[in-house]
Amino acid sequence: MSSLQLYSILGIAIFLLGIHGLIMTTDAIRRLIAVNLMGAGTFLVMVALAGRITPPDPVLHALVVTGLVVAISATAFALRLIIASSIIEKARDAEDDTL
Amino acid sequence: MSYALVSLFIPMLSALLLVLIGKTLSERNAGIMAIACGFFSLVAAWFALMEVAAGNQPILINLGGWETGLAIRLRLTPLSGLLLLFTAFMHVLVGLYADFSRQGVPRDYWPLSCFLHGALAALWLSADLFNLYITLELLGLTAVAMVALAGKKAYTPAANYLILSLVASLFYMLGVALMYGRYGSLDVVVLALQSQDDSMTRIALLVMTVGLMLKAALWPLHLWLPDAHANAPTAVSALLSGLVVKGPLFILWMIWSEVAPVVIAQQIAPLLAIAGMCALVAGGVSAMRSAYIKTLVAYSTVAQLGYATMALGLLLTWQLPQMHVALWLFVIAHGLAKASLFMAAGEMQATLGTRRVSGLRGATQTVPLAMFAFAVAGGSLIGLPPSGGFLAKWVLLEPLMSDARNWPWALGVLSGTLVSAAYIFRVVAISFDRARINPPDRRPDRLGHWLALLPALMVWGMALVGDWLIRLLSGGDI
Repeated sequence: MSSLQLYSILGIAIFLLGIHGLIMTTDAIRRLIAVNLMGAGTFLVMVALAGRITPPDPVLHALVVTGLVVAISATAFALRLIIASSIIEKARDAEDDTL
Repeated sequence: MSYALVSLFIPMLSALLLVLIGKTLSERNAGIMAIACGFFSLVAAWFALMEVAAGNQPILINLGGWETGLAIRLRLTPLSGLLLLFTAFMHVLVGLYADFSRQGVPRDYWPLSCFLHGALAALWLSADLFNLYITLELLGLTAVAMVALAGKKAYTPAANYLILSLVASLFYMLGVALMYGRYGSLDVVVLALQSQDDSMTRIALLVMTVGLMLKAALWPLHLWLPDAHANAPTAVSALLSGLVVKGPLFILWMIWSEVAPVVIAQQIAPLLAIAGMCALVAGGVSAMRSAYIKTLVAYSTVAQLGYATMALGLLLTWQLPQMHVALWLFVIAHGLAKASLFMAAGEMQATLGTRRVSGLRGATQTVPLAMFAFAVAGGSLIGLPPSGGFLAKWVLLEPLMSDARNWPWALGVLSGTLVSAAYIFRVVAISFDRARINPPDRRPDRLGHWLALLPALMVWGMALVGDWLIRLLSGGDI
């Protein structure tokens, strides 16, 4: 098995693992981690595909870097939203308890 | 510099400007500035459309003067020109409502709405798979931020929406990576010439399609839509349902009608058409059964997207240019009608102090204008002549009716019409129940109601320019 095949299959396996986590868990932070796993899988496939020619294809590297920037900012935004919503839900639960 | 680029840069620059100096302006003035930018972008889009319609072939724009192959190309076609115009027009209409109705919007709405406008404009102009991914992400992030504008209760739906939107983008990006790995190019025009029928291409197209269908809320991947769209502020719901879901639909149309080899497209197309039919019926039934006004309108988006999916599926099956016209007429007619429906629903909710459909009893008497807007816009969704919805449905039905073998599709369209009539008339019938009126909490906001009616009137006015629209979309073939 060539390294291209090995890493592509690994990448797709990680992607599928991410989908599994996304479907099976309900906690928002866990789901976000699952999404990040899917991202990692995609990037691994892209980096593996870049190695299909020598020297490695710089376009795919550029795409991975762009994708990473998007993934990081989106994750930060999602974390902020999840934290805000969990604070509100906790406050609502506390209100329900006192009633 | 071409007009299309002007139309794209105006909202982008004004968004940045509003982020920087928005705090120094009053809320009303920030709104006026955003509306003015939308208007200038509208004018530029008009000139861009005239430019490309006169030349009768796509205009390719190499950004930064790089040569073809290195440059990320933008492409202006009559369709993207029309969509640029439509996007700017919707932003002006919704902006007017957001700024001058009593409900109002938070200050942060304005830069976000400009970003949304810019992201969509970039999407319509892109002809590069990865560039399309970037515009999708931009669109998704902006849309989520706009849902969160509704305040604390919307944070959870916004977070769920964001996670789904990210998943959808990742699916799409995986497909793009596989496509690049196979052909070594991302440019749609180049890929259209090279693409072949092999397993790698099939997998790539399939993965991209799953992502795009999830993002466009096409049945059966639509379950996130009602929650996100119904919880957003009224003006945002109008933009989300009217415009945002059409972005991924555009990409879906582009990859299947241009990039994919015809053989694969014809194999997958009946599935798309069937999904569209299921969306029509399932979305319509959910709309009919929903207890809340905004949820009803959101489910109706799922149903109406079914028409567009069906038109896309039939376009690919028969390679019939007429279906292309039907698809985009649906998109435009639905955008205008849905904006009006959401704004009317929001106005009625605020005036009557209820979110339930049953609270609309006597609405024809208490909020006559908003109810009129709802009914008029609903008429276009049903497809009553001479509205824009009728125009689109007529173009879709004509080839279906001309051949007896096409009866299952015609039946699908007709049952969709029946279901949409059912959920619109359900609301209208309740609003005529003047015996048990639900008294309004406050005086109706007349200006807001008129502004909610405006897009509904526009969609009925579409019939006046129907001939021009059809000729523009078909490139003078029909």
